[in-house]
Amino acid sequence: MKILIGIVTSLCLLYPFIVNASDSPVGNVKTLKGTASIIRNKTPLEAKSGSELFQNDSLKTGADGSISVVFKDDTLISIGPNSELLINEFSFSPAEGKFSFVARLLKGTSAYVSGIIGKLSPQNVRFETPVANIGIRGTKFAVKLDGDDEVIR
Amino acid sequence: MNIARTLFISVFLILFLVSCAAKNNRSMVVVLLPGSDGKTGQIVVSNKGGSRLISKPEQAIEIRSANVAPSEPFTMNIEKIRDDFGEALSALPSPPIHFILYFHTGTSIITEESRKLLAKILPEIASRKTMEVSVVGHTDTEGTRKMNQKLGMERAMEIKNLLVSQGIDPRIIEVTSHGEGNLLVKTPDGVPEPRNRRVEVILR
Repeated sequence: MKILIGIVTSLCLLYPFIVNASDSPVGNVKTLKGTASIIRNKTPLEAKSGSELFQNDSLKTGADGSISVVFKDDTLISIGPNSELLINEFSFSPAEGKFSFVARLLKGTSAYVSGIIGKLSPQNVRFETPVANIGIRGTKFAVKLDGDDEVIR
Repeated sequence: MNIARTLFISVFLILFLVSCAAKNNRSMVVVLLPGSDGKTGQIVVSNKGGSRLISKPEQAIEIRSANVAPSEPFTMNIEKIRDDFGEALSALPSPPIHFILYFHTGTSIITEESRKLLAKILPEIASRKTMEVSVVGHTDTEGTRKMNQKLGMERAMEIKNLLVSQGIDPRIIEVTSHGEGNLLVKTPDGVPEPRNRRVEVILR
């Protein structure tokens, strides 16, 4: 029993360090227009210029909306009207050689400009959609998705 | 106005019906564009059907479903790009500006030339309505990885203090060190290289 309490206590004490990696902001909202929100843990939050974004956040716009993000490695992403994009993965720690960037467009349109992760570790950059994955070896592209909405599981 | 609104709503209704009709049949178009430096990179589009690389500006690929190979690349004209992606593209922020400040070897003492450049950063921070100033310390590959991580941090802190002493709000400044992990000039380990001994100040 004592051992169990010991394990539980140490896990509780360690918890902030374990979750720390996904706890730091990955970027900030730069511009927005019309209806645009951040979705965190399935809850829509008001987005403002400067709002911090975290791993697993989604961006969502209405028919009149657009929103753009500047990531910590200078990657730029924007989405147009009626669009939704999920930030699956973002880690940027050059000192430890850790890089990853995975975003998924669920609907609508998006434009992307690669940042430092794209330069230092392009194999760890992926832009996904329900019909294809885009591997990126530099710079800028735009995507448009038509058809049914994909449900986030 | 009313006619415009009705038209607008009907267009949406049609788009909605079209998307219902295309159930389980999602499709996608991707177009490669030149970056702000005028250079065009490469993207590889792949799914269960196969994969395809494009590397020319305004080159596009269509994907009809997750199981069908990406189409042959085709050139998309500017009007079509504007129609399809205009709002997303115009929402893209301008790329962050980088300033590079250099240091004397093994120290957090800034070079005289870089001290002059620092003065130019201040008005830029104000005029761009900068949301965040990222101050990132770097080193060359001389010395151990651990030492360089620490030296990079010392360099970054030195620049942060200089910026704060010039009136920049410390709350918008973020300080990190990449140590020897993000070289400007690629070198093997243990190589002194003045261009890698630097702090990058990034205005976002």
